[in-house]
Amino acid sequence: MMRTDLYRAAALVVACAVAFTLGIPGGGRAAAPASLHVAIGIDADTLDPEGQTTTTIANIVDYMFDSLVWPNDERSGVKPGEPQYTKLVPQLATSWTVSRDGLTYTFKLRQGVKFQDGTDFNAEAVKFNVQRWLDTSVRNPNRYYFTDIDTSRIDTPDPYTIVLHLKQPSPTLLGRIASGVGEILSPSAVRKIGNDKIPLGPLAAGTGPYMFKEWVHGDHVTLVRNPSYWGRKPYFDEVVFRVVPNAGTRETMLRAGDVQMAFEPPAPDVPALRKDANLRVVEGPSDRDVFVGLNTQYGPLKDARVRQALNYAVNKQAIIHSVLFGLATVLESPTTPFLFGYTKLQAGGWPFNPVKAKALLAEAGFPNGFTLNFRTPTGRYIQDYQFAQAVAAQLANVGVKAQIQTTDWPSYVSWMVTPLERTPLQIFVLGWATQYLDADGELYGQFYSGQAPPKGLAPTFYKDAKVDELLLAGQTTSDPKKREAIYQEAQQLIWNDAPWIFLWSQNFYMVTSSHLDGVTTTPNEKWAAIYATWK
Amino acid sequence: MAAVPTLFGVTLIIFFMVRVLPGDPARVLAGLEADQTEVNRIRVQLGLDKPVPIQYARFLANAVRGNLGRSAVTQAPVVSEIAGRLGPTTLLAATATVLAGTLGVASGIVVSTRQYTAADYAVTVLALAGVSIPVYWLGLMLMLVFAVFLHLLPAGGDTTPQSLILPSITLAAFSLAIIERMTRSSMLESMRQDYVRTARAKGLADPIVVYRHALRNALIPVVTVLGLQFGALIGGAILTETTFAWPGIGRLLVDAIARRDYPIIQGVVLLFAVTFVLVNLIVDLLYGYIDPRIRFG
Repeated sequence: MMRTDLYRAAALVVACAVAFTLGIPGGGRAAAPASLHVAIGIDADTLDPEGQTTTTIANIVDYMFDSLVWPNDERSGVKPGEPQYTKLVPQLATSWTVSRDGLTYTFKLRQGVKFQDGTDFNAEAVKFNVQRWLDTSVRNPNRYYFTDIDTSRIDTPDPYTIVLHLKQPSPTLLGRIASGVGEILSPSAVRKIGNDKIPLGPLAAGTGPYMFKEWVHGDHVTLVRNPSYWGRKPYFDEVVFRVVPNAGTRETMLRAGDVQMAFEPPAPDVPALRKDANLRVVEGPSDRDVFVGLNTQYGPLKDARVRQALNYAVNKQAIIHSVLFGLATVLESPTTPFLFGYTKLQAGGWPFNPVKAKALLAEAGFPNGFTLNFRTPTGRYIQDYQFAQAVAAQLANVGVKAQIQTTDWPSYVSWMVTPLERTPLQIFVLGWATQYLDADGELYGQFYSGQAPPKGLAPTFYKDAKVDELLLAGQTTSDPKKREAIYQEAQQLIWNDAPWIFLWSQNFYMVTSSHLDGVTTTPNEKWAAIYATWK
Repeated sequence: MAAVPTLFGVTLIIFFMVRVLPGDPARVLAGLEADQTEVNRIRVQLGLDKPVPIQYARFLANAVRGNLGRSAVTQAPVVSEIAGRLGPTTLLAATATVLAGTLGVASGIVVSTRQYTAADYAVTVLALAGVSIPVYWLGLMLMLVFAVFLHLLPAGGDTTPQSLILPSITLAAFSLAIIERMTRSSMLESMRQDYVRTARAKGLADPIVVYRHALRNALIPVVTVLGLQFGALIGGAILTETTFAWPGIGRLLVDAIARRDYPIIQGVVLLFAVTFVLVNLIVDLLYGYIDPRIRFG
């Protein structure tokens, strides 16, 4: 009698469970969703435009704000497939002039624009923001972008004109303003919310196509359409960025229909995803150089011939094909084609020639090679730990035995900033990208000798007087033609000197539902999906 | 009570331990492209330029007033960051514990009375699977079957009530297996005792012997394990939370470690210590209820 009761109870429980499960639709596909769900891999650190250090979060912040100028993209009407990020176009500024000496910038501002809190966008608002960029009580890791601006001399001759005076010429200033860090916030919203709370939720603080709704830490950020946006209306009412740290889970959620866009699924899955008719892999080259940095002050690596030999020893195309599943483009220069000042130095990249590599090593006095320690992060760049092993194998073919070591990111960074006398680095994997698309952003931080640790993050300890001179000149020369020549010369010198094993620029990729139309990737590792539509 | 010095000791250890870890929180926060001036400025803002004992004294002075500082990354109060994640983790851990407890004890009892039958072997295999299958793999498999192929359940996150199902099953699997094994062996031992033989000899019906007499005693070690499991699940759900994008405390801690967010790490570890102390207390009290020897002894 007890037993049948037990079985009856069990049956009842199971029936309830099934009913509960099927009761409310849980994981079904959506028809045309009103809100777009995007799965990203990290939680936001701050939603203040000024505080941005990761492109994923900066991308989300871009939805809520505008800048004075912006690269040409979907927001200025570029259609998917057309070239984007080739020049700067008006956004909150309708036109601008730069004085001959490069010290005065005059912006004419767009009229009739209101912030999401209803206040007017005007020159006073821009002035407030420029001062905020340089206000040290506001966290701004990229404050050096704007330190040339003289904040005591900001002129607002009329409500829609603002004049900035610089202490010295800054030819990269417009590009830096257009990088996202210079987005404009409503002064009244900042005063109301407070600078300490803006990073947690910039409520109604922007002029952009979407407004902040909520940020549930660790879970999601929700944005809703801005009804009073001055530009073209986006398709989706709401965009929810869901925090899904596991790449496999992001992909699964997309397949299950829980999200319509998933950021960077596992690289080994990409070939299969490319073939799936229900999904679309959106990918494109980025400006992120990925390379093996060589400590130019260590033993055998002091000799440029040795460094060149290491470059000849690595077959980049093969590694891109078999280890990176095609998700990269070989470097043909220390910079990528998207940067002002880019010069193509070697079509197809540094040639793969192990015979030449061995010859150079012998010539430099190392016919039997040598041993190196080879440091790499794990999970920071596409297939980083995996390609390090491939590179090590190819170095071994020419007699250079590289022993791989890895650690977590903060520990890795501490290796990167250790000064020369204590640095453990010999060769190491690193990636470097610039938020503003100028060769200065890529080259200065890595090849100017003054940026060697602990001052900066150039752990190759590379030092060349001519390169130093050129890189500094590039920062203060206003004439674009002269700058191009400067950077061409600098890149040629750097390439031949080979302080890196020049590998590739990694692609930026994501996977979306095939119904989602109009998503593209940008050269600075962002996605452009504000005007994506559902078909 | 021994609790207070224990907690004090925990904060001391974790405080110094995180500061010994390689990696500068200010540089990690500012990113690679930031210049050193800003990194230094952030370091001062985080209070990390002061000598470590001074930092600890400040931390303690604030902690006793309920202020655990601010997250280095988001600058939100640590207490509110933790509070926001406590709900999801407690829900998940509690559901998993209830699942593991009820199903584990029930199946353990059932097979203990059917030793060496087909049912016993079947459950043994399942228990082995439960402790061996990696949580990560089990979670993804369940997601594939129920979310992708069958479209019955959500694949992750905690958006709907049904979102709780897959993560709690995944999380419960290990504990369930352990509880089942413990219950079974504990019951078997209990039923071999003399007093059980006496009860049967007296003519008492089988269910009464099993449930009233043998079970009470068999449950003592099981309750211990269940309690400890709940405590462990609060913090140990990290793999499940990561796999299912469940916004819990485990993920908060792991993210904080990855970002060297000292105040969050300190706050969460303190919370774990407090939870552990509380759970042990409750288990001790439960003993008193279950085991008359403790109550009257």
